[in-house]
Amino acid sequence: MNAHVPPPQVMQRSHGEASVAMQHRAGRTRLADLRQQGSAKAFLPRVDGAVPEVVFLNTSGGLTGGDRLRFALTLSAGCRAVATTQTAERAYRAGQGSALVEVAHSVGAGGWLDWLPQETILYQGAALDRRTVIDLAPGAGCLLLESVVLGRAAMGETVTGLAFRDTRIVRRDGRLALLDPLAFGDDALAAAGGTAILGGARAFATLAMVGPAVQDALGPARAALGEPGVEGSASAFDGKLVLRLLAADGWPLRRQVARVLAALRGQALPRVWQN
Amino acid sequence: MSDAFPDAGLLSLVQWLSPAFPTGGYAYSHGLEWAVAQGEVADGAGVEHWLADVLRHGAGRADGILLAHALEPGADMAALTDLARALAPSAERLAETEQQGAAFALATGAVLGVALAPRPLPLAVGQAACTLGLPKAQVITLYLHAFAANLVSCATRFVPLGQNEGQRVLAALHPLIQTIAQEAAMAPLDSITTSAFRADMASMLHETLDVRIFKT
Repeated sequence: MNAHVPPPQVMQRSHGEASVAMQHRAGRTRLADLRQQGSAKAFLPRVDGAVPEVVFLNTSGGLTGGDRLRFALTLSAGCRAVATTQTAERAYRAGQGSALVEVAHSVGAGGWLDWLPQETILYQGAALDRRTVIDLAPGAGCLLLESVVLGRAAMGETVTGLAFRDTRIVRRDGRLALLDPLAFGDDALAAAGGTAILGGARAFATLAMVGPAVQDALGPARAALGEPGVEGSASAFDGKLVLRLLAADGWPLRRQVARVLAALRGQALPRVWQN
Repeated sequence: MSDAFPDAGLLSLVQWLSPAFPTGGYAYSHGLEWAVAQGEVADGAGVEHWLADVLRHGAGRADGILLAHALEPGADMAALTDLARALAPSAERLAETEQQGAAFALATGAVLGVALAPRPLPLAVGQAACTLGLPKAQVITLYLHAFAANLVSCATRFVPLGQNEGQRVLAALHPLIQTIAQEAAMAPLDSITTSAFRADMASMLHETLDVRIFKT
């Protein structure tokens, strides 16, 4: 070791992949396989009731340029499960390139998945490209949530630079059913005050339910809107129920998300959210 | 036909995208009626701002890219149709693109003497216009111009705006429309994104508006 050579300035990039498979046996959904490597972990906390919770975790403490993260959950026919993340995900200023996050879930025939990750907080200069794909077999359904907060309000942070792409894809029996390719780059951020963009809000969420009879939930979903400080809207069409929520900050948004989830699934947030 | 008379293709497209063509665009406000009813869009400057954002960051650019791909020889129209339907953010926006697209396909089919399948509007325009021999960017420019002109016409009736103010707003959007069309003509399908979150919300909230002039 030569004492005159400075340490390498290469940032440590994190890579991680966690995949979980569940099977339905003897009337219950049970763990069939769990693989994890790098910074990605998954675990199943003990829960009351028959529907298991799968908790994914990125142990790297946040995302930055060049990071790769993949979460996957495969539910066999007839499985019902809830999947979430242990903490809010933070995307920090990226040095070079984007952080790539891939979420790839599949739900077997007649099964149901609630994919309810905690919010993503985007710091000034963050570059994150996230792709969430849920494949539904015939008769299967899902509820998916994505909440995003631009900067930390408590720190008085205003995010002006970002390379954020957040694509949600749901396929029914291999056929595209929902495509929601949200993106915020510098130009969209500059326009974010516009009433057609974010109207100056800093926190937004999309909830989507895809599956048999989900359009029946439009009334209860609309009735659960109206949390103070949150704008919300809902629409049901083409075997889907979609909600958009918008707030000045992450906390009122989270309260509104909890109310909508309570209305849609009979219980509020996954237990791990409440810690 | 474009050999015999170079402008024939362009004339056909201008006819198809004119307000007189039975596409029924006058009935659809893309959620703008809600924004006006809330007082969020209250004058010419507000209409211009809202439209510029929707063109640049919402359905304008997305439709432009869909149209570019529908103009491609041998385009997989079934896959593009699934994509366009999956992109619709609300019941009314799905109805807006499908109902206008079906009417457009029927009317262009009648003019051309062929049967054209009903498709979401940008794809219906693409499947008819691909025979015209026009550059993609030109087709997209006129498509986006028709989209903006229709919403300016909605605003003229509902904000209300003076006729001249409406035309000033539309003219002011011309450079943006050309820029978006140039980009969209060459953009891959996976570059379709949206940032027009509240425009999507407006189209959802329009569903529950008590008094409505427009279908969307």
